[in-house]
Amino acid sequence: MKFVAVIRQVPDSESRLKIDAGRVDLSSATLILDQMDEYAVEEVIRLQEKHGGESVIVALGPERFEEAVRTALAMGADRAIHLVQEGYLDPITQAEALAEALRAEAPDVVLTGGQQADWDSQALGPAIAEALGWPVVTWTTALELEDGQARAKHDLDEGAEVVRVSLPAVFTTQQGLNEPRYPTLPGIMKAKKKEIRKIPISAASKVEVLEQSIQERSRLGKVLDGTKDPHAAASELIRLLHEEAKVI
Amino acid sequence: MLMAVLTNDQKMVLDMVRQVAREVLWEKAPQYDESGEYPWPQLETLAQLGLLGMTTPEEWGGAGLDSVTWVLAMEEIAAADPSVAVILSVTSGLPQYMLTKFGTPEQKKKYLVPLAKGEWIGAFCLTEPHAGSDPASMKLRAQKVPGGWQLDGVKSWVTSGGQAQVYVVMARGESGISSFIVEKGTPGLSFGSPERKMGLHAAHTTEVRFDGAFVPEENLLGQEGRGLAQALAGLDSGRIGIAAQAVGMARAAFEIAKAYADERTQFGQKIREFQGVGFKLADMHVKIAAARALTLEAAAKKDRGERFTLEASTAKLFASDTAVSVTRDAVQVLGGYGYHREYRAERYYRDAKITEIYEGTSEIQRLVISRELYR
Ligand SMILES: Cc1cc2nc3c(=O)[nH]c(=O)nc-3n(C[C@H](O)[C@H](O)[C@H](O)COP(=O)(O)OP(=O)(O)OC[C@H]3O[C@@H](n4cnc5c(N)ncnc54)[C@H](O)[C@@H]3O)c2cc1C
Repeated sequence: MKFVAVIRQVPDSESRLKIDAGRVDLSSATLILDQMDEYAVEEVIRLQEKHGGESVIVALGPERFEEAVRTALAMGADRAIHLVQEGYLDPITQAEALAEALRAEAPDVVLTGGQQADWDSQALGPAIAEALGWPVVTWTTALELEDGQARAKHDLDEGAEVVRVSLPAVFTTQQGLNEPRYPTLPGIMKAKKKEIRKIPISAASKVEVLEQSIQERSRLGKVLDGTKDPHAAASELIRLLHEEAKVI
Repeated sequence: MLMAVLTNDQKMVLDMVRQVAREVLWEKAPQYDESGEYPWPQLETLAQLGLLGMTTPEEWGGAGLDSVTWVLAMEEIAAADPSVAVILSVTSGLPQYMLTKFGTPEQKKKYLVPLAKGEWIGAFCLTEPHAGSDPASMKLRAQKVPGGWQLDGVKSWVTSGGQAQVYVVMARGESGISSFIVEKGTPGLSFGSPERKMGLHAAHTTEVRFDGAFVPEENLLGQEGRGLAQALAGLDSGRIGIAAQAVGMARAAFEIAKAYADERTQFGQKIREFQGVGFKLADMHVKIAAARALTLEAAAKKDRGERFTLEASTAKLFASDTAVSVTRDAVQVLGGYGYHREYRAERYYRDAKITEIYEGTSEIQRLVISRELYR
């Protein structure tokens, strides 16, 4: 069987981004393999370990994406195809270009991140499926293959669903799908020798970016005084974290 | 700054090492310092990631990493846990290095591969109770017997003694000092209990006793009579590892001090704003940067296949001096809290001192350097 992870390189969430002449300037940002795509890479490696066959990385993006591609290869994927184009491409245009490469590869399973850390778009996976005419399962948290079909569990807004689809199919990842491995040192050394096939493309973006800006969020500066009544302060903290920050 | 000149592969290695250093080693270091337990779980994690045989060639189970990246990785590991770093530096810098350089293909297959894969830990037995800086005065006897040698005597201060599976032992025979590979479990081989040390509590150091221990013919490492020269060649490489360990400890203590000086206020201002503290931090930074540069220089020379004895000793001397002075200053910047175990600075101070002693004291480094200058 053949398993493909479609990946992207994005700025680390801790990077400080600057705006230069209406554009995001990435020159001082740390760029990493998108963590949602990392689940996809881990999953294709696991599927290959379980079912045999091949695990392939496919990326569409500027030359610098190669670093993320190497990381995926160092984790254990077999080889990679990198469609190279500088500049912005909207997800629908990306999906069309990717679909062409994917059709040629004829994989059984395509996985990609549920959401992209840079543009926060969730479109890429479904758009690839659409372009290929394959089924898509979004926000996948569990995936099992059996006789040309897949049984997948995926998150809904306030719940979950278990579905069956026939292969080939596209799955987008959700946190919890797996625990991505660290690339090992021998893995990194081996990755140097693995094939990355570069294919220059020149797709025309359907969306043109005119100007970018970054939302500056100021701190609320809320301080709870726990010196007098620590119990009350703790309860208030929990209430705020639960109701306002919605993190617990 | 340095990151800018690294290749993507080097960055990937360092990112991975930093991540385990932070998530595994840094977390557990204080607990293992307190208990004095040998850090097996941490070593197993490093083994799984292929970090116990970094510079050993790929064909012998290692990763074939260049020494420059190795030094940077060692710095990260030592910054998180100096005890784990010395175990790592010894197993890869000494037994694996000597086996790679002097071992037969059979010895490499049998001993180097499991060491490089991290299935085993290796130890290096040169020092004796009466032979430290002057190893040529060693007494441990290797007597020729049918089929091999019989070893009698005592080695002291052996890092990973009792825990390691493979011991590279220097012993005196009829044709001078030779190196031997001795396996744990050999009859007549026994270990003292871990020495009670000032620092590096998790890195066990013990006596290793040989009481008629039989070593088969095929476990002679390298040439008979060349043992001391081989051990010294091992130490040239080992010293780069210790220099990197020293840089790592100094950096970790410096980072603690730097963060603290930015938070602590006295007399209504951040203490870093007092010139007495700010200048101290500046000096610490400069020393660390210089020590790192010297260590990388030695590693780069080794990578180019050139003789690096002078550079290794230079780096080891300066980096260990830096480690001791910077960790001491870090404790000072933290004031009373620097003296408290919870703030970690005191542990680096305790751990750092040994870098001026093992793998050749600072005096011995000066001896080596002064001789190398006229070579
Ligand atoms: C934690 C720890 C781990 C160790 N691990 C190992 C190991 O794995 N394997 C191993 O074989 N050994 C190991 N050692 C031993 C270490 O290498 C020796 O302690 C070191 O070489 C010094 O020897 P010594 O302790 O006998 O000191 P000595 O040689 O007795 O030195 C005492 C003092 O005299 C000075 N001195 C000696 N000769 C001269 C000279 N010619 N000129 C000027 N000054 C001189 C020294 O610098 C020192 O200050 C370890 C030691 C420690 C503490």
